[in-house]
Amino acid sequence: MPVLYFVGSILLLLGIWTLIAWGNRNPEATDLVERYPLPTPLMTLDVLSEIFANPFQNDPDVKGIGTKLIGSLMRVGIGFGLGSLIAIPLGLLLGSSKFMMSLINPIVQILRPVSPLAWYPLGLAVFSAAGGGDGLMNPSSKAAIFMIFICSLWPTLINTAFGVASIPQDHKNVGKAFGFSVWKYIIRILLPYSLPHIVTGLKLSIGVAWMVIVAGEMLSGGDGLGFFVWEEGFNAGKTTHIIVAILIIGIVGFILDKFFSSLQKAFSYDAK
Amino acid sequence: MMQNNYATPQAGSSMDNSDKQVLAKMVDSASAFHKVVAQPQTSVSIKDVTVSFKTPTGIYTAVKSIDLDIRKGEIVALIGHSGCGKSTLMNTISGMVKPSSGEVIANGKRVTGPGPDRGIVFQNYSLLPWLSVYRNIYEAVDSVMKDMCSAEKKDHVEQNLKMVHLYEHKDKLPGQLSGGMKQRVAIARAFAINPSILLLDEPFGALDALTKSNMHVELLKLWNLDNRNKTIIMVTHDIEEAIFLADRVVVMNNGPAATIKEIVDVPLERPRNKKEIVHDPLYMETHDKLLSLLLDKFSIEDEVE
Ligand SMILES: Nc1ncnc2c1ncn2[C@@H]1O[C@H](COP(=O)(O)OP(=O)(O)OP(=O)(O)O)[C@@H](O)[C@H]1O
Ligand SMILES: [Mg+2]
Repeated sequence: MPVLYFVGSILLLLGIWTLIAWGNRNPEATDLVERYPLPTPLMTLDVLSEIFANPFQNDPDVKGIGTKLIGSLMRVGIGFGLGSLIAIPLGLLLGSSKFMMSLINPIVQILRPVSPLAWYPLGLAVFSAAGGGDGLMNPSSKAAIFMIFICSLWPTLINTAFGVASIPQDHKNVGKAFGFSVWKYIIRILLPYSLPHIVTGLKLSIGVAWMVIVAGEMLSGGDGLGFFVWEEGFNAGKTTHIIVAILIIGIVGFILDKFFSSLQKAFSYDAK
Repeated sequence: MMQNNYATPQAGSSMDNSDKQVLAKMVDSASAFHKVVAQPQTSVSIKDVTVSFKTPTGIYTAVKSIDLDIRKGEIVALIGHSGCGKSTLMNTISGMVKPSSGEVIANGKRVTGPGPDRGIVFQNYSLLPWLSVYRNIYEAVDSVMKDMCSAEKKDHVEQNLKMVHLYEHKDKLPGQLSGGMKQRVAIARAFAINPSILLLDEPFGALDALTKSNMHVELLKLWNLDNRNKTIIMVTHDIEEAIFLADRVVVMNNGPAATIKEIVDVPLERPRNKKEIVHDPLYMETHDKLLSLLLDKFSIEDEVE
């Protein structure tokens, strides 16, 4: 049944897409590409073989779509990983200490609304001054990673802190009444209770990170999907390539989200 | 069974003993020393305790000026109408609630917070929902029984699970248990850490009559096993249960600002036989007394309706 709905949903999308492409057509043009400023699904299907011809090609000038996808994933992975490494412990601390919460919360409230893109030039300025590197480690790639790092801090930090702060008094009382050590309290009460909240935070963070990487790579250039959209899609006048990239970005985002949803399920004790 | 004369508290004996102690002190110090040893120690002492809660509509005083001394090895039942402040009073002993004024001394120390010398069965069970039945008890045992090796701990936990007849369910999560089963896990957990004071807040409330009877027997067994040295304070709504188990029954007034209405001694010899004591005239007398203490307010309200 879910499969049928999924197929139906895809067909609906293709239908709407075709309708819009058809409505937007330019009847005088003879060339297919000029006739459809928004390419139809069939036209997009045609370029797939071209785009996926050599996906993992990794020459200095020519990089396959797969290589680009991996580049984007690496940047997201590193930025998100580092961000989570900071956000989770900090969130645990903020959630368990009113003092720390009051001290740090204003910083979070001020920095959180800043568009992640604003961090890119800052990162670039700092990393350029620090000197260059290759591939992932060149200053513009580092700046993109930095941007991902910053934007994946907030949802995890806030959800973790909220989770810890909302541990019911009953659970805390159990720890006190039965003389739990601090360590036992952390691993048997604090973490199990806040884990679902932490995973929710991670899920939101990876979602933001994946959205932001595309914009970041439009600025940074290099070997990412964002740059592919901009350079090989728009600048090269190949709208079909933009659409293919959008689909790939969507599908990968969907898979990331599903992955964290399954983590969420695995870590929630009352769903069992 | 070993029987110490001071381990079977008799109704009213504390009064006599303290009088004797004062007398003995006046007469000669040697006999005073002897008397002090034989004197039942105070296990819990509630001194002029008032508990007020801040609520959105103002300050609500739940219990007011409560004074109560409980001897070591005594079983005391607290009864009173719902909402009168029984749990609140229990929580001042466990350390979950800080008295607004007055203090509670337990095992000679002022209560400032919960501690494993006072085993608690919470009214809402308070099991950790992500731990199995076994782990819920194990973690408590692991924290408190520091000198046991892990095999001993495992054995100890299993023994306690068998006592409450939950061994077959040891791998279930609390969410998969019935209310009565959860309650039994909470009881096993409190018993397992072998506290000198057991605080039971309606520990048998969710159990059927048969299981309840079994648990009464288990509770007394445990108490006997420890030479009746454990102090047990329990909240109950069940007069029969209170009489069967307790040495004294503390009847509370209705709130707000509830006080102790009366303390009723249960003059029944131990061991008590559940079937036989109900025919004991002393039992019936105590039962009637408690019932009228609980009912006299109701009867007036009934007439009004
Ligand atoms: N944390 C709290 N904040 C405000 N009021 C409270 C709080 N805890 C208890 N009370 C109030 O104190 C009174 C006594 O509550 P308590 O739980 O001690 O009653 P109880 O005698 O145990 O009742 P029951 O037999 O139903 O368990 C009630 O009126 C309750 O509303
Ligand atoms: Mg209560």
